[in-house]
Formats: sequence, C-alpha cells, structure tokens
Amino acid sequence: MTDPLVTVDGLEKYYYENDTLLDRLTGAEREAVRAVDGVSFEVREGETLGVVGESGCGKSTLAETLMRLREPTGGSVTFDGDPVYELSGDDMDAFRRRAQVMFQDPFSSLDPRMTAGEIITEPLAIHGVGTGAERRERAETLLEEVGLSADQIDRYPHEFSGGQRQRIGFARALAIDPEFVVLDEPVSALDVSVQAQVLNLLADMQAERDLTYLFIAHDLSVVRHISDRVAVMYLGEIVEIGPTEEIFEDPQHPYTKALLESVPRADTDERDRVVETIRGDVPSPRDPPSGCSFRTRCPELIQPPWLDAPQAAFREISEFRTRIENGDIDVDTRWEQVGDPDREDRAAFVDSLYAEAFDEDLPDDDEGTVREAIRALADGDREAAAATLRERYRSPCEAVDPALPAGEHPSACLLNEQPDDVEAAREEWEADRDAPGVGASSR
Amino acid sequence: MISPRTLRNLRSELSRSLLAKLGIAILAVILFTALFAPLLAPHDPTDQNLDNANVPPLGFTATENQTTSQMVDGEVQIVEEEVVVNTTAEHPLGTDSLGRDVLSRTMFGARTSLLVGLLGTSIAVVLGVTVGITAGYYGGRIDDALMRFADVMLAFPSLVLAIALIGLWGQASWRIPDPLVALGIASSEMPEHVVLPGTVIVVVALVNWVWFARVARGEALSVRDQEYVKAARSMGGSDLHVILKHVLPNSLTPILVLATIQIAAIILLESSLSFLGFSGAQLSWGFDIAQGRQYLSSSWWIATVPGLAIVAAVIGINLIGDWLRDALDPGIEGQGGAP
Ligand code: SF4
Repeated sequence: MTDPLVTVDGLEKYYYENDTLLDRLTGAEREAVRAVDGVSFEVREGETLGVVGESGCGKSTLAETLMRLREPTGGSVTFDGDPVYELSGDDMDAFRRRAQVMFQDPFSSLDPRMTAGEIITEPLAIHGVGTGAERRERAETLLEEVGLSADQIDRYPHEFSGGQRQRIGFARALAIDPEFVVLDEPVSALDVSVQAQVLNLLADMQAERDLTYLFIAHDLSVVRHISDRVAVMYLGEIVEIGPTEEIFEDPQHPYTKALLESVPRADTDERDRVVETIRGDVPSPRDPPSGCSFRTRCPELIQPPWLDAPQAAFREISEFRTRIENGDIDVDTRWEQVGDPDREDRAAFVDSLYAEAFDEDLPDDDEGTVREAIRALADGDREAAAATLRERYRSPCEAVDPALPAGEHPSACLLNEQPDDVEAAREEWEADRDAPGVGASSR
Repeated sequence: MISPRTLRNLRSELSRSLLAKLGIAILAVILFTALFAPLLAPHDPTDQNLDNANVPPLGFTATENQTTSQMVDGEVQIVEEEVVVNTTAEHPLGTDSLGRDVLSRTMFGARTSLLVGLLGTSIAVVLGVTVGITAGYYGGRIDDALMRFADVMLAFPSLVLAIALIGLWGQASWRIPDPLVALGIASSEMPEHVVLPGTVIVVVALVNWVWFARVARGEALSVRDQEYVKAARSMGGSDLHVILKHVLPNSLTPILVLATIQIAAIILLESSLSFLGFSGAQLSWGFDIAQGRQYLSSSWWIATVPGLAIVAAVIGINLIGDWLRDALDPGIEGQGGAP
C-alpha cells in the first residue's frame, strides 16, 4: 500500500445562518448547517478516490474546503505532510501549485472574456512561470494533449462545445504540473457519449503523469471505472468507503446498496436519478436526524428488540411516524376530505388516513397501535400520536450514532461491525427499555 | 480588454441600427465643434455690441416696441411704435440681449458641457466602480457599510446635493490657455482661455458615482460566484488578480452602458447648475438659457438655441448608449455558442 498524499481528519464545515449583526443583537439562535460533518479519509499517492453522493450531501463543499477555498470549522487536512490550513506565504503558494481543481460547469468555469490560451495559461501567469511566448507554447501543447488542436488557442469559450470546454478546464488544471487534482463532477454536465471520452482522457493523463485524483460524482456508475477506491457520502458524512470492486460487489451500508439498485438513466437529471428504493427526501442538513443520519430513509432500519414485524411494515410505520413528528399531516384537510366539518366521525377519519398511509398489511397488534395514534391525531393531539408510535417503534438507529470504523472497507451502520463504544451505547439503550404495552389492547 | 468578438458585435449592431448611426453622427458633430470652436465660431462669444442686440436668427423677423418722444405743436407726445429688427447674415442664429453672437456662444458652450460631462463621468466611474466592486466582491460588513452610505447619498435629490456641495466648497475653476489660440492657429480675437469648472466637475461626479457603485456591486456579486473565480482562487490568484482579470472585465458592459446615460444626465445637471447660477460658468448652455429666459417672449432664440443643443447632445449620447447595450449584452453567452 502506498503512502497517503492527502489525509483528511475529522473535517467539518458548518455554515451559520441567522448570523448577521441584527440577529446577534436580537439574540436569535444561530443555526448550523452541517455541510461537512466530521469526515476522515486518505487519498493515496497515484490512486483515484471517488466520492459519491446525492446533490446536497456536501461533497462539493468537501472538495472546496479540502482545497482551502473555504476555511473549515473543524478538523485538518494534511497534504504530503504539510497541514494545509496552517500554510502561508511560499508554502501556501507551493500547495496552490501542487494541487489543482477541475470544476463541474463547462459554462461558468471558463471566463467568457478570455481566450482558450489565456485560460489555460492563467495558473502560469499567477505563479509567474515562463515568458509569454513559453506559456503560449505550453498552452498549445496542452490543447493537443487534451484532444483539441493548437490553432484553437485564440478562440473564446462560447466557440467550443461543452465537452471541449471541459477539456480546456482540464488543460488549465494540468498547466502547472500538479500532483493532485480534485475533479469536481467533471462530466456530470455532459452528454453520456461525451462523458466516456472525457473520462478516458482523465484516466490517460493520470497514467501518463502519475496524478492523484479525488473524483467527485453523484452517481456510482461514473466512478466505477476510474476509481481505485470509493467513498459514499450522505448528509455530510462518509457512510462507507472501500475498494471499488468491493463497494460494487459487496456493499455494506444500506444507502450504498440502495444507490446500486438504482439504475441511472442517462436522459434524466440528477434529481430524477434518485433511486426508487430510497423513498423520501434528503433531510435538511440544518436539522439532521438523531442517531444515524440515514434512518429516515433506510430500508433496513433496525427494529427494537421487542418487535418482530415484517420489515416493509415496520418501514411504513416509521415513515408515518416521521410525518407525524414533522407535522407533515394536515389534519384540517383530512377532515375536509372525510367530509365531516363537525369532526365527529373519528372512525371515518382514521380509516381515511390509514388507507392513505399504509399499503402493507400490518400485524393486528401494530394496526391497533397505529389506529390509536391516528385517533389522537383526529383529536388534534399530535404530541400524543407521536408518543404512542415512538413508544413502540423507536429504533436503535435513532438513538445511537453509528461510526465509520478504521479498516479497508468500513461502513457506518449499526448492522455492521462498529467500534466498541458504539456497541456499548447500543447495548445500554436496549437494556434501558422495557417492551411497551401493545396498543391493540386498548382498542 | 475589447475582444475581437465584441468589436464584431459592435459593428454588426451598428450596421443594423439607423438610430445608432444617428447618435454617433450627432455626437461627432458636437465633439468636433467643441474641439475646434475657436476656428469654427464666427465671433468671439464674449464680444458685446449693444447696437446689435436681440437680432433674430436668419429667416425670422422680430419686432420691438420702441417708445420715442416727439414735440408736436409744442406738446410732448409719446409715441409707441413697433420697429422691425433686421436679421443679419453676420449672426445667423441671432444675438442675445447684449449683442453677443448666439451661434458662437453655443459652440463654445459645448466645451463646458462636454468637459463636465466626460470628466465628471470618468471620476464617477472610477470612484463608483472601485467602491462597488470592493463591496460586491468582499461582501459582508464592508458591503453593508458601503452600500448603506450609498443609499444615503441616493436619498438626496442630485441637484440639491450638488448645490449644497458647491455652497460648501465655493466655485473653484481653472483657466487653461486654449492651445488653438495660444499657437496662433485660431484668431487671436477668440477667448484665450478654456475655463475648467473644477468644483462642478467634482460635484457632479460625487452626485453620480453611487449609480456606478450599485451597478458594479451587482455585477461583482454575480461574477464572484462563477466557477472561474473559484478556479482562479484555487490556482492561487490573489484578490487583486481576480478583480482585475475576472470581475472587472466581466462587469464592464453594464458600466459602459450606464456611463453613456450618465454623461447625458451630468450634462443636464451642469446646465441646471449654470442655469441657477451655481456653477460660475459664464459660457455654457445652461448659463445662456438662464440669460435668455427673461427675453423668452420677445427674443425666444437666446434660450432656445442652447436648449436645442442640450436636447441634441442628450439624445445623441443616449442613442449611443442603446447601441452599446444592444451590441454588448447578448454577445457574452448567447451568440454563436456551440451546444
Ligand atoms: S444504522 Fe440503522 S438506519 Fe442507519 S443505515 Fe444502518 S440500519 Fe439503516
């Protein structure tokens, strides 16, 4: 195994909302958006580490913070032994030469008022490398190397296609001979046919120049062929990391499994690709779920020890519970649908909502508990409804925060191997609770 | 900074638009007149001749009431009679109440207007763009402070603010020898000096820079978030590099368009100040309008000719502004972009 070139340790990037002067004067609580929430990994010399996650999972913030385009709120990054966030002066300059970024958007990543030549030589100009003529020569060579022709050097970005623009962006990243390149979704804005060409170019150049890549993407299929290892991100955390083959053949984390089951379709955009098997929205990083951040959508959500319901039923109940807890169920509208403005026919209300929320056949006991909760809801007591469900259907996943253990292929899920302190916390949680009474009895 | 593509757009838009050509023609005439006024003007604009006062422009007649007293049969009789004032080819646009040539005065007046308009706008652009880009690029507290200050400035009507500033500072102006006269190219009868109304120039700049600051800030705000700015920073580009190489060039179009509009506004402002007597200029369109105002019923041309000159200049400059806007705006992303 080769040495790490980049070591990321406990990296955190929080944004604070309500943080203006006025907010401070009025004493408004400042709200943290946890874009990157304690991420640790290594990028080894000469390898490609793929980072995959849905949009909004913090992967781009991770890239920008790692490159110190934003200052972190915690943690550290070490580049070839140097602490990146403590560098200044010449050392920082050296880092800016040795590490480069290639950006996602073929349109906004190139200054529309610069020619291809000016764009490619910008890093050389910034660092004062070479004379004007030498730089131009270098730009011509690079243009050819990335598959364009040298006589396009005086063209403006709008004269190129999206794929060609990305090649120019890549040439710019290579101009100053970096060792490490962060590729921030370099092909996600391109047509599939063009994607493959650009990916091949990236791979060829890596082999030729011994580059180390951090490759960020929102779908696994893109990183599969170019990455040596893959890290899967969810809500600002890495939930699984391991060798590419193992991630694809033997995924550990329920989120990774769900991602793999989704078949990305080329003609849809990022949002639509989000898989069928993962229901619901990504929770807001302003208010991440307690315990495991994936639990609101996890198909394998762990049942409490006293429960033995079919997993599908348990999942539906859990989703229903989340809706109640978030106040997503509009009781007034439901009463209107029932057609009972006087709100007397509770049974009709319960039937209506139950039928809407549950496709699965629940075991009798569970159906009883759920109906009891809905009755409380019909009476306008959301708290009681939530409490009824919480009592019986709480999961260890919401109490215990799984960690990402060390190792070649760890995953942050309570179903898999966890560090001792997490296991201890879980045992304590389970021992602490007695099985609740069953709602059916009070029907 | 001006790319070949921009030039191409400018040219094609110019060939398409009749109004743009008209604007350029108007401004060219005014510029030419202002530059070579001592060579072109038929008279010294300050030359007074009371015998020849209130002469109407060629092709018009004017009558003047004259009262004469006569002795008729030992009694004094006061006779009021209408006298026709003859036009003369010497004063094609007539003369004012002191017998000064209106055409010559209007030609020389163009110098004041353009000097104030161009210099005032240049200062306003430099000031406004510096402040605006700093505010937009850095954002946060700096932005808040600068923009609050700009809002306060905007709250004052520009004329009131200008008058207040002039009241504060007085009316400093410099007399610069006119090179055409000094070198003997133009007749030595022409005025020897060009008056550079320093205070007025500074004041109109101070009154108008805020507009540039606002536009520049808006542009800087949007350019700042472009990925090419991120890219430049990731390569190690300093703030200065990013601002000079990316933010400024990409903010220039709307600033340029605004500048043309502001030149016109500043010419109007200078005229208002001269009209109200605050600029201290004795030879400017606004000043002449003020002079001619009291004779409007009898000698309308004294105020009308410089008035028309202002209208022509403002229209010409605005037409050029429209042309720049149309030519520069869509050229960035829209035209000819390959898919
Ligand atoms: S810890 Fe629980 S909720 Fe989280 S992924 Fe594992 S099973 Fe799902």
